[in-house]
Amino acid sequence: MVRIAWRSLTAHKLRTILTVLAILLGVAMISGTYVLTDQIDRGFKQVFTDAYKGTDVTVTRQAKFSGQLTGATEGLPEDMVKQVDAVDGVAESFGYVAGMGAVAVDGKVVETGGSPTLFFSYSPNDIAPPQYIAGRPPEQSGEVAIIQKLAQDKKLAPGSSITVITGDGAHEATVSGVFKFAAQSSLGGSLLIHTTLADAQSWFGMEGRLSEIDVKAEAGVSADTLAKRVRAALPAYADVKTGAQAAADQTKALSDAIGAFLRPVLLSFGGIAVLVGAFIIFNAFSMTVAQRRREFAMLRALGASRAQVLWSITGEAFVMGVLASVIGLFAGLGVAAGVNQVFQAAGVDIPRSGLVLQPRTIVIALAVGIVITLLSAVIPAQRATRVPPMAALQEGAQLPPSKFARFMPALAVVVAILGGLLIAGGMYGPGGTMVRLGTIAFGAVLVFVAVAIASRYFVGPLAAALGWPIQKIAPISGRLARDNSRRNPSRTALTAAALMIGLAVVVFVAVLAQGLKSSFIDSYDRTVRADFVVASKNFMTIPTDTATKVQSVEGVETAVSLDAQQVQAKNGSLPVVWGIDPNAIERVWSFDWITGSDAVLTKLGTDGAIVEEQTAASLGVKQGGTIKVTTVEGKEATLEVLGIYRDPMMLNGITVSSSGYAALFPTPQTFMVVAKAQPGADLAATKKGIEAALASTPTAEVQTAEEYKKGTVDLVNQLLMLIYGLLALSVIISLFGIVNTLVLAVYERTREIGLVRAIGMSRGQVRATVRYESVITSIIGAIMGIVVGVVFAWVVTTRFAGQGITFSIPGVQLVVFVLLAIVVGVIAAILPARRAAKIDILEAIHYE
Amino acid sequence: MAAHTKGEDVSDNVETTIVMNGDAAPATCEAGTTIGLPDAVVQARGVERDYGQGDALVRALAGVDIDLQRGAYTAIMGPSGSGKSTLMHILAGLDRPTAGSVWIDGQEITTLKERALTQLRRDQIGFIFQTFNLLPTLTAAENITLPLTIAGRKGDQDWVEELVKTVGLGDRLTHKPSELSGGQQQRVAVARALASRPAVLFADEPTGNLDSRTGEEVLQLLRHSRDAMGQTIVMVTHDAHAATYADRIVFLKDGAIAHDCGRLGRDDIYDVIKSLEDA
Ligand SMILES: Nc1ncnc2c1ncn2[C@@H]1O[C@H](COP(=O)(O)OP(=O)(O)OP(=O)(O)O)[C@@H](O)[C@H]1O
Ligand SMILES: [Mg+2]
Repeated sequence: MVRIAWRSLTAHKLRTILTVLAILLGVAMISGTYVLTDQIDRGFKQVFTDAYKGTDVTVTRQAKFSGQLTGATEGLPEDMVKQVDAVDGVAESFGYVAGMGAVAVDGKVVETGGSPTLFFSYSPNDIAPPQYIAGRPPEQSGEVAIIQKLAQDKKLAPGSSITVITGDGAHEATVSGVFKFAAQSSLGGSLLIHTTLADAQSWFGMEGRLSEIDVKAEAGVSADTLAKRVRAALPAYADVKTGAQAAADQTKALSDAIGAFLRPVLLSFGGIAVLVGAFIIFNAFSMTVAQRRREFAMLRALGASRAQVLWSITGEAFVMGVLASVIGLFAGLGVAAGVNQVFQAAGVDIPRSGLVLQPRTIVIALAVGIVITLLSAVIPAQRATRVPPMAALQEGAQLPPSKFARFMPALAVVVAILGGLLIAGGMYGPGGTMVRLGTIAFGAVLVFVAVAIASRYFVGPLAAALGWPIQKIAPISGRLARDNSRRNPSRTALTAAALMIGLAVVVFVAVLAQGLKSSFIDSYDRTVRADFVVASKNFMTIPTDTATKVQSVEGVETAVSLDAQQVQAKNGSLPVVWGIDPNAIERVWSFDWITGSDAVLTKLGTDGAIVEEQTAASLGVKQGGTIKVTTVEGKEATLEVLGIYRDPMMLNGITVSSSGYAALFPTPQTFMVVAKAQPGADLAATKKGIEAALASTPTAEVQTAEEYKKGTVDLVNQLLMLIYGLLALSVIISLFGIVNTLVLAVYERTREIGLVRAIGMSRGQVRATVRYESVITSIIGAIMGIVVGVVFAWVVTTRFAGQGITFSIPGVQLVVFVLLAIVVGVIAAILPARRAAKIDILEAIHYE
Repeated sequence: MAAHTKGEDVSDNVETTIVMNGDAAPATCEAGTTIGLPDAVVQARGVERDYGQGDALVRALAGVDIDLQRGAYTAIMGPSGSGKSTLMHILAGLDRPTAGSVWIDGQEITTLKERALTQLRRDQIGFIFQTFNLLPTLTAAENITLPLTIAGRKGDQDWVEELVKTVGLGDRLTHKPSELSGGQQQRVAVARALASRPAVLFADEPTGNLDSRTGEEVLQLLRHSRDAMGQTIVMVTHDAHAATYADRIVFLKDGAIAHDCGRLGRDDIYDVIKSLEDA
């Protein structure tokens, strides 16, 4: 029986290759994800371990929480270094200021692809001596040293001039030296800049303060012991850790960010690919089992038991699964490199170490590949065992219908309901984000399965309808294709369903993105009354004095700064607090009030707040209520809710007056300045004026309202492209599925093809027949995918309507998807069509 | 069913004195074959066909010369493996000879390119095989007009209607082949083969899979197409009864023509076959 399984595999090489490919690509995606994220993990780990190599103890200001818009803390007083030095066992210590900003060369901001440009003040020390490869560390005000990568990319050397842009504006500086960080020439896309301590303190608003103190222990004093002693000597707000701990914590923070985002996201694309592969394997085995029914019947007639037949087929599946997993595992290395390329193309540069192939990756890849293949083959295999020995003798005996055939419609309904319940449970039920997303994903898989089961009942009419125009164009090829696609509805249905899955996700994402874009524009148009928006690319901060500069430009009526930082609310959530000028905001902003009115703006004072609807709901507050918040430094405040407004896209969170904001946070963190021109002012000239006023701080970019909207829409589109790129894999796999189905169909119809060729059908017509059948199948897949994707998107947008995503169908894109499906169909048909056209008429006539 | 009807009937030129089903004397057989017949629609000269190579070489046809006259109904008989099907395939342009040439309607087909051969099959030739003549997804009526559809032609509607009438399927025309009996299927196949008014209709054991009664229907339909429409027919058959419908019977043995006879009765056919087997 093993031999029979092996023979069958090698006898149908193309089918074996296509089936193996179907699962292989999914496995490759999964193993690639693990390889890539492990590489990134290890890359970061190396960076931080190197950075803290000589450091035994670090002191920072305790942060209460960390979020994406968490501001810098107030830091440590400068003289704390003395307190630390006084601790017994301290050999050496030094403090520094760290901050984020940007640098510009020749008036142009140096792009980092979303990675930060990090500034560190430099003090001579033996703990973490930087490795200078040219020049020397900065010594005087206005001197900076730069990391090697920046020097190389921008052709800078000691003596070059460079502009440093920080929260308080632009500063001209001279390069004093070039260094490597932690023995690395670059840190992914991040840039590192050394400054003097005094410059850093002034540029980052840290006068008299430090961000961190690094300590080296005397020989014989362990890091742990020293950390304990330092902790005891310092006030409670000081966070004292060993160097190893600090390195581990920072690695973990970044790894968690990856673990919480990159890994699950990539894995779900892998999961989709595997699901598509599973459909294809199921279909491939169903088809071959049907074709080989006489062979099985003969084996049975010769005395093979049902179990032996079952084992022969599952053995085949097992070999395929092993092949697919092993090749997929190694192909994953290629995928890891490929995905990294995709990220780099999208401007995200991530540090990576060399190849990391953990045992965990191997186990998961093998398990997924083999288990999925076996599971997908077991039902068809089971059906093969039910071929009666008599069938060997009968011409054209059919595979016995599945035992469950008559329960299929009921099964589809049950599975669909179950899937729907899971999705609903995931969306409305309790539990953490991951659990809920998992539940939704599982529900979605069930819905896919239900649609696939049900589709055999509507594939016939659908194929007939789609084939009708084709038949009008090509009377004979179209007609035969139309008939062929309806001959075995469940086969066409499954083949189309594989394409449906990939396309449904594509459509889902497209509809959500469309909703996001249109509600962003809608929200912007409804609330923002400004002519200009000043902001940085990549949501970085802009200098705090930007609004003042813009206000002074001729033609500008009002310019308002929008500052933002996160706080922690009592329920643990981290809402954003926006700081605005309550006297001016009215002129550039039109709040969509739910309760309250513009009149409350001037009454905000230092502890009044207005709250966005969603945040109010999640915090459970109403007008007149209060919100207790904690800043990252642990400062607590109680804000009184004076009004509730709706603005899910822009000022999403809590809005306070600039004085209230200043009371909460030590540094402003400006993200945007919105400005309105005077009535009758020349907009183009005013824009030029603003550009001129901001020329020295090129991070702050001026855009008209239209440009800003377009920029945001473009950003969404970029993300969409990235997702489409990742989903392309699933579509490619389903393409293999179509190829497989067609190759088997052509094989089955050898005699028919021979007949029509004998009575005068040309090779071209035969090819066209296969091609049209392929296109009909792929359009069915596209239609199912679009329907399912749109329904999913509708459900999700309905659920999250309050968070600003409206339901909006991207008509043009859907048409493009259908065209894409047609292209997929045409490509999938190339090989099977060629095979069909090559069929020798005489052989076909004598065939079986 | 006399063998002389319309003016253009070439069978008048051939001596056919045998009455069907009659036990007439063994008649007009020649050893070898007659070539140079007037108005030959199919001509073959020196046709050889080898399969395999070296020790495994099989000479399926060893130099066949034959002329088939327009409007003639010819049966090809011979022992199994004598090369009947091979000859028919080569005459019909389905297969190429190893040596020799074939002309249809004066055009040499053995040198034609694939595309031209396809066109030839579509426009000049009709086929009936032993089984599997119909596309299972099309109705009987659609199968009949299939060659016209393939050619992208409407065809002669009156002609098609006449064919449909001749086939005599009545209301079964809208049925799929799986819903028709074997005899009905073969009758549809005959009508289909005639739909494009081919120069020659080739049939390889068209009754081989039918019982004698349904076989009879098909044979009569073929005969009728010859008599009423002047259709040229070449039919390979094992069945002596089927061969009695033909105006001429060519006997193959070992890839060569052994006898070329006019009309024969069943017993005469048996005699010839026996003589071939004994030889
Ligand atoms: N494709 C092929 N490959 C090798 N030999 C072949 C092939 N086709 C036919 N032959 C051989 O050529 C010879 C003639 O075959 P052909 O099919 O023409 O015989 P036939 O007279 O039609 O026989 P039957 O009455 O059994 O149908 C036989 O010996 C056969 O074995
Ligand atoms: Mg034969």
